[in-house]
Amino acid sequence: MDDGISHVALGSQPNDRIKLNVGSKLFETTVSTLQSAGPDSLLAALSNRPRLDSNPVFIDRDPEIFSILLSVLRTNRLPSTARRFTKQELAEEASYYGIESQLKSAMLPTPLSGIDASRVATINPASDGLVSAFTAGDGDGSVWIAHGGQITGYDWNLTHAGTIRTHLEDITSIRRVWPEVAAVGSDIAAGLHFYDFSNGSRVGSAHWTDKSDPRIYKARVAAIADSPSQVFASFDCPHRENCILVIDKSTLKIESEFARQPGSSAKNMVAEKLTYLPDSGLLVGSAVASGAFGYSGYIRLWDARSGEVVWETNEPGSGRSSRFGDSFADVDVDTDESTLFKICSKSGDVAVADLRNLGDDPWVYLKEKNPSMRSTGGGGESVIHCYRKQVFVGREGELEVWSKVEEKETNIERESRLSEGSYRRNYVDKMEDSERGIIKKIEGGGDRLFVCRENVEGIEGVDDS
Amino acid sequence: MPPFADSRPPANAFHQSKPDQSSNLVTIDVGGQLFQTTKQTLTIAGPKSLFSRVSSVSDQYGVPFVDRDPELFSILLSLLRTGHLPSKAKTFDLQDLISEAQFYGIENLLVASQSNPSQFEAFNLENSLILPLSGRDSPSAISTTPYGSIHVAHGSKITSFDWSLQRKSTILTQFTAVDSLLTISPNLAAAGATDFSGLQIIDLDNGFVRETLNWENVTRSSSTVQAIGSSPEFLFTSFESGRRNSNSIMVFDLQDSFRPVTEIGHNEIFGANLDSAIPATKLNWVSSYNLLMASGTHSGPSGVLGNIKFWDLRSGNAVWEVKEKVDCFADVTVSDDLSAIFKVGVNSGEVFFTDLRTIGAENSWVCLGNKRKVVNGKKEGFGCKIENHGNQVFCSKGGDLELWSEVQMGSSRNSEDGLEERVFRKNLMGRAKDMGGNRITHLGFGGNKMFMTRKDQQFVEVWQIVLGSVGFAIFWVSAACPAVPFLPIGRTAGSLLGDMLMVISRVISPNQAYAAIDLSIPGRLFRTVVASVYIERAASLRCSDTWENCSRGNVGMQRACFTQSESCLTFQALYS
Repeated sequence: MDDGISHVALGSQPNDRIKLNVGSKLFETTVSTLQSAGPDSLLAALSNRPRLDSNPVFIDRDPEIFSILLSVLRTNRLPSTARRFTKQELAEEASYYGIESQLKSAMLPTPLSGIDASRVATINPASDGLVSAFTAGDGDGSVWIAHGGQITGYDWNLTHAGTIRTHLEDITSIRRVWPEVAAVGSDIAAGLHFYDFSNGSRVGSAHWTDKSDPRIYKARVAAIADSPSQVFASFDCPHRENCILVIDKSTLKIESEFARQPGSSAKNMVAEKLTYLPDSGLLVGSAVASGAFGYSGYIRLWDARSGEVVWETNEPGSGRSSRFGDSFADVDVDTDESTLFKICSKSGDVAVADLRNLGDDPWVYLKEKNPSMRSTGGGGESVIHCYRKQVFVGREGELEVWSKVEEKETNIERESRLSEGSYRRNYVDKMEDSERGIIKKIEGGGDRLFVCRENVEGIEGVDDS
Repeated sequence: MPPFADSRPPANAFHQSKPDQSSNLVTIDVGGQLFQTTKQTLTIAGPKSLFSRVSSVSDQYGVPFVDRDPELFSILLSLLRTGHLPSKAKTFDLQDLISEAQFYGIENLLVASQSNPSQFEAFNLENSLILPLSGRDSPSAISTTPYGSIHVAHGSKITSFDWSLQRKSTILTQFTAVDSLLTISPNLAAAGATDFSGLQIIDLDNGFVRETLNWENVTRSSSTVQAIGSSPEFLFTSFESGRRNSNSIMVFDLQDSFRPVTEIGHNEIFGANLDSAIPATKLNWVSSYNLLMASGTHSGPSGVLGNIKFWDLRSGNAVWEVKEKVDCFADVTVSDDLSAIFKVGVNSGEVFFTDLRTIGAENSWVCLGNKRKVVNGKKEGFGCKIENHGNQVFCSKGGDLELWSEVQMGSSRNSEDGLEERVFRKNLMGRAKDMGGNRITHLGFGGNKMFMTRKDQQFVEVWQIVLGSVGFAIFWVSAACPAVPFLPIGRTAGSLLGDMLMVISRVISPNQAYAAIDLSIPGRLFRTVVASVYIERAASLRCSDTWENCSRGNVGMQRACFTQSESCLTFQALYS
């Protein structure tokens, strides 16, 4: 209401107004509306013309689409008349006027709240539909999918943006390191490779070599993470020796190597999951192996600059863990809240640890007494992913979300923040959704959650709309 | 195309013809399109809206310019002029109109035209919409508001749908399941559970707990919430102590930040007095008697026992008490409009009623259904729900819903207690496809809609009238509020006008309309209707205060054909 009066330009200031003739239809708006399009846009450029002549500016485009885009500029929301056009048409027209970002923000899903989300789309590449890896990139809801040796990109409204073929036969890890560049690796072929998505060419690659050690040869990539300036990739040799390489993002050259370990036991095998924490500059790596005697693995935190280990935990450990024999099946880091979440392999319990207050046994096991939630027994086939301060857990085929309960309007002390009862568990999916297949990977980006299932073609997009 | 033929800016036009201060006309430039209207039309929007500011601005500066979409503006201007949405509004989503109406500050008018409680028509409700809920929890409580928004508690979540049922939001609560939910204000709800201590006042926008209200018995143990009710001034909460050895109804002040006002019906259980051990599980405010009805049951090995008490808040005494020992109620409701209590018997599964005027009498329940049914040990009424809205009573039996309505009999046969015998008849609601679903667990009413949830189903069914909405809008405006200032026509005329508009706005074509009328009805009748509508409309525009005379004089023909609004309804039903 209060900003409404600013739209009511008074009759005494006609200079603020501007008239446009788009495809013979007349529009009138204010300079400030056009300038909200951003300084580089065509519309803002039009508004800067001298306004001495009162003749409307003629733009030779479709008036109907323009009226929609003008509505977006005026109200920041997409009117229902936009349904007459495909998202593709709108995006193209918006890029003509240079207001793509405004259209994007008007079309984006609302902030993801797991308790209100539902499956909106299944993205299925045309061939080799079994997705081996994917990366939700850029925070705008787009996703790049690796399937077989191909990478297929889907843009922010999940329409197909393009497919490129790489030289790899089976991409098992992918990370979008630049808006147009993906870092890919495979567990059957050596090296980390950078592909430019716009032209499909390989722009660089990195191999782990050691002049003093000829056994370091044909090392394959297990996991990729990136910071604003660096790419981190864990490499694994055929004889299981492994390390983490730091690659400069702009030159795509190897900077340094750290965390080299022999790989002879579960406590020093290659990290299968890497996460970079931008706030603290820490790199979190974890690996889990499952065998006849259950799960074993480690979580390790490195200082990304020095390569020093800051904290680590091994499970099953010798320490005085309250949950001996119930080692974790998957771990993930919540970068927003600086917390670490794990899911136990035997009990299926979810535990949380505060990254700023790690110790011998930092885990707080979350309690959930919701009687309507079936006890799912083990957590063996579970994956866990933190996104937007919520924890998404895939147990077999079921997708559930742990969300934090708002306590009071007053701020709570940090000490009491991680308590057993501070999270509530709810299903995201319906019963019939869970029967489609075991959830293999969950990743969030751009207020969308992407879920990939074992032996199911394509990935599912979940959001709040 | 806009009436914007010449490209001169409106400011020039203003210089050429200085606006007359006394002129009633207001010209507005919206997104390059000029609109003209009167100040009276703009004042309907209310003092806080942008429209009234526009009209004040135009006095000082000439033609005001609003940088918004002209098409949406023209629809909202029609809404201001006529009180209903024009048919061209159908090209837009309601969501567009809502956000535009919010910008201009006239959302209340839009609500009144689209979701008005007076549009509620029990006989014409159809299962027309499903509101899906995320996750796998079935609804455990619902709460509706007079203008048709609904809050649904499922599991630890509360999902809210706004009055247009298009915007949805979900918040997380501290409960594992919410058992009682009541909306206090548009963004505040009271929630409680039978396994959670205290009543929480929850901000529905962000899920914050504003306040936790508690009741403590002498042992200061925790207390759970069994039921919530409210009157315009007070919030009532039925608490039971955690050890289930005492219960009480607390009265909180709604206007004074939930200050505890008084406590009624406090029971401490010592020994085997079963009756006092029953906490109230339903609280209804009876505004015409200024009493609170509290009811509760207890199921034991000897059968189901229950009691219904009417509390006077001032004295804190129960003025009436009904003890239920034989065929106790499974659910009970009180209707102000019908001045009666209705129950569904847990054993018989039949609907009973008792007149509030004879409440003190022994065995006052009158069976409305099968009177001769043998009450055996079965609990046929188990899980049945009974609710009332307006002067109808809705009773669920398993997956079916019965609608009980009173038939006004002209000749009243007085029974022995001096009151006339009342006649209630039932209808089964819905089409064949709606029958026999899962058991109905909750019923709610708001706006022109009925809401229903079923066992193990993660959605809310919405039952509403499916008619040509434009024509219907006209109908309700005239039928429900004859005092609407901008449409001073009678109920009958309104419904006919509505019918005509349905034809005009191509909800139905005239041929369809003809076809809908049985051939035995002469076409002349239809023409009469057309004529009378036009006569009425013309008359209503000219003279609103002398309307009664006009209608008696000029359109007697029409009166002869349609003397009662009921026949108009039939007419409408034919169309749809």
